[in-house]
Amino acid sequence: MLEYINIFYVIFKRDLTLTFREKTDFINSLAFFIIIVLLFPLTFGSKSELLNTIIPGIIWISALLATCLSLETIFRSDFEDGSIEQLVLNRYPLILLVSAKILAHWITFGIPIIVISLTLGVILSLSNEIMMALFITLILGTPILSLLGSVMAVLTMGLHGSMLLSILILPLSMPVLIFSTIAIQNASLGLPIVAETYFLAGILILAITLAPIAAASALRIRLS
Amino acid sequence: MSKFSINNLECVRQNNILFQGLNITIKDHGLLQINGANGSGKSSLLQICSGLIEPTAGEILWNDKNTKKYRYEFQSNILYLGHTNAIKSSLTVEENMKVMHAMAGTKSKIDYSIILEKIGIPNTNEILTCNISAGQKRRVGLTRLFISKSKLWFLDEPFNALDEQGKKIIEKIIIKHCKNGGIVFFTTHQEMEINNYPLQNIHLGNNNA
Repeated sequence: MLEYINIFYVIFKRDLTLTFREKTDFINSLAFFIIIVLLFPLTFGSKSELLNTIIPGIIWISALLATCLSLETIFRSDFEDGSIEQLVLNRYPLILLVSAKILAHWITFGIPIIVISLTLGVILSLSNEIMMALFITLILGTPILSLLGSVMAVLTMGLHGSMLLSILILPLSMPVLIFSTIAIQNASLGLPIVAETYFLAGILILAITLAPIAAASALRIRLS
Repeated sequence: MSKFSINNLECVRQNNILFQGLNITIKDHGLLQINGANGSGKSSLLQICSGLIEPTAGEILWNDKNTKKYRYEFQSNILYLGHTNAIKSSLTVEENMKVMHAMAGTKSKIDYSIILEKIGIPNTNEILTCNISAGQKRRVGLTRLFISKSKLWFLDEPFNALDEQGKKIIEKIIIKHCKNGGIVFFTTHQEMEINNYPLQNIHLGNNNA
């Protein structure tokens, strides 16, 4: 058991180190996210009423688009330098190693997105209820995006360009987007958001259970 | 005593039959060189043997157990090194070796400096691997031969990018591994100077030529 925790930690740490050393991809997707969100107040004016209605949705859509950008890199270098063969032909379960990579992706992408979103929310003077709903939906939703996206990233690996990846991820993440935006709308009207939160949590659990298995099998198929 | 055997293996790539009805049985101390022209299926054979890709027909047995069914039992006994070095260019040499060490699953402490010295690139521990030459990168990748405790090695062109001295070091470690009861499958286009050890050969012909 300890062995498994150790290998999980090693792969996780390796991916974190790599992301922070090869900063460009990491910074690009976050910068892309910030710029898209900030384009809207520029074009629609800064009336706080209007911003309160559109910004949470905009943040969610931008997060989705930024996910597509960042996911392209999650397995790319492993495929290029042959590390993927070492991961697959390992004594440890591939599912475990893939999970470590997905967790590392969420830490380096999901968490910054949440922090930036809340900062942007303050800058754009969103109401407290909306901020709370935004926080809850993002913290449940971004791991789903990382999990689902990693499966798609494996499947589209090596098929040039990230266009295909976006086309696959965007429709699949629609349920997440729908529940999140409904939750935020309800919050802005002072209604409870318990139902949507449960749904998102349910999808998250499903994704945690199934996505690593799917990603691991997809990896084996991609290699052969 | 361990036994690795291939039964009636067939590999078809893009409608080309690379090999067909291939049978190999190899036991402890076995050293086997796979020969053949470019595109004759040497790498494919190694990839199939290690379980990376599926053969079109036939089965692979490790101690008479199907390697597909007992995947992890088999995988904890093998070491596969492909054409690529499988090292990360933004990690230092030692960080790369730490990852290899963890993945090899050996609990024993390893002195990385000693291994680097043995493989001919001493005092490179703290250097980022993107800053060293191709031959040195190859050597870093090959430190797996020192780190791993696996019995069965599949080495695809291990001597690529190595100079004479590097080649001798790797030849020596391969023979040492075989003498200690290991089994090694390898491909190479270079002349091997293995005179004092029984070397088995198989030749993959290009059926379409």
